[in-house]
Amino acid sequence: MIKKDLELLVSLQDIDLMIEEVGDVEKLGFSVTGYTELKKAREELSASISKPLLFRYERLRGKLKRAIVPVKNDICLGCFLRQPTSIGVKGREDEQIFTCENCGRMLYWLD
Amino acid sequence: MHRSELAKYFKDNLFVASLQAAKKEVAIAELLDTFVREKYIRNRDIVLEMLHQRETLGSTGIGKGVAIPHGRTTAAADVLIAFGKSDQGIDFDAIDGKPVHLFFMVIAPPNEEGNVYLPILGSLVTILNEKANRDKLMKVETFQDFIAIITGE
Ligand SMILES: [Zn+2]
Repeated sequence: MIKKDLELLVSLQDIDLMIEEVGDVEKLGFSVTGYTELKKAREELSASISKPLLFRYERLRGKLKRAIVPVKNDICLGCFLRQPTSIGVKGREDEQIFTCENCGRMLYWLD
Repeated sequence: MHRSELAKYFKDNLFVASLQAAKKEVAIAELLDTFVREKYIRNRDIVLEMLHQRETLGSTGIGKGVAIPHGRTTAAADVLIAFGKSDQGIDFDAIDGKPVHLFFMVIAPPNEEGNVYLPILGSLVTILNEKANRDKLMKVETFQDFIAIITGE
């Protein structure tokens, strides 16, 4: 269940990353005619995420820009510091969401 | 970004000389599956969703037979580019309405060391704006020849 929530949050952040760089890709010559549709998709997706988790996401995003980051080879790809292996074992399970002890971002294990 | 620097982001196992797909959605999935097959990406559904959302924002078919589907995703650790070519061409809702033959799929993590993602997109657009480069890419069959075109050697 937690994993499902985390995956919805990952998709939400993916849309937020896209919204953030709309101006940049437009300058490169890409067509961005569907900005309103994308914002609507963002609203729909955020409505399907539990309120406390969404709140936590928005708060972290305000503070750190990236609220949730991938972890690969035990490295937090938000601050690039190694996570204790013991957290990784638990982090891959489906019971709770872990945050980086160093930067405070929510962690999403890729391997 | 210098062209020799850009060339480093391509990989032999992410090079498809002849795409099977005949439709937009299938072409996106086919290119994404090269990353999945090589285990660069584990959660296919999340990345596919991101790529679909990106097409909602506007077709990445930039005209003249070229598409550059791209996006950042929290489900990737490294910046990666897959190349695919379709001889028959695929309807991709491109801005000029023409079928797309040359596909560059660029996937990036939320943060990347050196901030290379936007420079990579810019460099690709510049190279592909040149007709001579597009003509050469249309005929490319091997990864080695492909890299020579990208580096401009
Ligand atoms: Zn961290």
